[in-house]
Amino acid sequence: MIGGRARNWVKVIWVCTILTALYLPILSVLLASLANTRYMRFPHKVWSLDAYRGAAADYTTVTLHVISLQIAVWVVLLSVVLGTLGAMAYARYDWRGRTLFQKMLVLPIFFPQPVLGLALLLSMSALGIAPSWKTAVVAHAVWIVPIVTLVISIRLFGYDVAQEEAAFDLGASRWQVAREVTFPALWPGIFSGALFAFLLSWSNLPLSIYTSGADTPLPLWLFSRTATNYSPLVPAIAVIGTFVSGLVVLALLLLRRVLSRAAN
Amino acid sequence: MMRRNPGFWFALPLIAAMLLFFAAPLVIVVWFSLMPPRSFDLTTDFGLQNYQSAFADGYGPPLMWSLIGATLTTAITAALAWPTAKILHRHAGRWASIVTALIALPIFISESVRLFGLSVFLMPGGGILAGTLKALFDVQIGTILNTRFAALLGMVYIHFPFMLFPMLLGVGMIPADRIEAAQDLGAGRWAILREVELPLAAPGLLVGGLLTFVLCLGANAEAAILGGRAVTVITAAIEQRFNYAQDWPMGAALTVLVILVTAALVFPAVRRIDLNRIIRR
Repeated sequence: MIGGRARNWVKVIWVCTILTALYLPILSVLLASLANTRYMRFPHKVWSLDAYRGAAADYTTVTLHVISLQIAVWVVLLSVVLGTLGAMAYARYDWRGRTLFQKMLVLPIFFPQPVLGLALLLSMSALGIAPSWKTAVVAHAVWIVPIVTLVISIRLFGYDVAQEEAAFDLGASRWQVAREVTFPALWPGIFSGALFAFLLSWSNLPLSIYTSGADTPLPLWLFSRTATNYSPLVPAIAVIGTFVSGLVVLALLLLRRVLSRAAN
Repeated sequence: MMRRNPGFWFALPLIAAMLLFFAAPLVIVVWFSLMPPRSFDLTTDFGLQNYQSAFADGYGPPLMWSLIGATLTTAITAALAWPTAKILHRHAGRWASIVTALIALPIFISESVRLFGLSVFLMPGGGILAGTLKALFDVQIGTILNTRFAALLGMVYIHFPFMLFPMLLGVGMIPADRIEAAQDLGAGRWAILREVELPLAAPGLLVGGLLTFVLCLGANAEAAILGGRAVTVITAAIEQRFNYAQDWPMGAALTVLVILVTAALVFPAVRRIDLNRIIRR
């Protein structure tokens, strides 16, 4: 039997090992981006930010971000609208067919993503629709909308329906109840749902591989440039892309703060 | 007014979208898989030739590799996630929340970024690991890059959080007094794990295992970035059939095979798991 103190050390070491393993590859990207040679020769003879200057001057960087952003914004809008309505049906109302709806909704989540992309590509091609960033939006949405619906539903489970009835009894109109009672209860879930949708879409590779056609989102560009035509520009753009998504999340969090302060 | 139930109307847009963009494409894929080889039109000229030639033409091995990869990844991530989930649950508090957030964070960094990072880490000669060891200790090491093992490592790396988080919910469903009671009754470590913890945490384990397995079944980026040409997974084989060989019906037939494997696992599980009970917590 190991003593209590020794066992605690084993736990600390275990957790630290897991975290190190998770972050070493991410740190490696950062280190790789600080080179100015075409081939990786770590430790670098010269540590430089040339790759970032190159990325900033390269128009590709902007194009990639714009395409990824376009896709993510549409996915967020679709997820929020469909997910909020869906969550009402999932968690708020009891209706015939609800159990079936709840079970069917998770099927797209439990589906291999690249295979979903391929299936969409084949059907679109059969219908004569050329793949572009718009078809990528559809592919992302099929996987992300159910997740967002679940995220919003989790919040709604704690919601007390009696509040709405009380408001009606006090003479509130349907619109007033929606605005003053239902929406404030939904709002935290909608916000987390939107964050999830943005991040999942921004970072998604497997759904974009076969569905985005000639429009290349960020993760797909990184994927193809890793295999061929490597240069420090690749890790630099990877770092920039991750940084930009962090900034967007930060901006959204700030926005929520401002909005909730304005509401009070 | 509250008696009339609007639940269905709220669900309708989502149901319509899923039928149009999830169910309909699957129907088209099944339809295409029954068409004569190399045709580009949907007709009523049904046949099973593509399925027959799928195995004759050597598409068995890619499917098998994907299944083996998914099984191994599920087993390995489960073995790594179980102690982690128990530690995080047992010592719940500020540190555990920080660790949990740190484990969740990489999910939102693109798979291609992280896999690329893993490949520069493992690269021979001037890679991060090899270069550091050479500079500090003057040790030369080889590389596992471009092997099946590297692809498996990548799959474990990417899918670990997908196993951990459902498992964390599962471990949360074990009442602490149940374990103490078992201990008081003289149960050993293994007996407690087998008879108490695993059954009570089963819904979480099932969701985590299923999610990991299904995501790994279609995974191709790991094999492409880390595995080199050492292994061809089923998704790569399907893509090759669609894009380069321009044989849509064969690509569709292979897709249907993957869908069948997925459905065989997912349908019974979804019927059994009460997701509400897990997420309501």
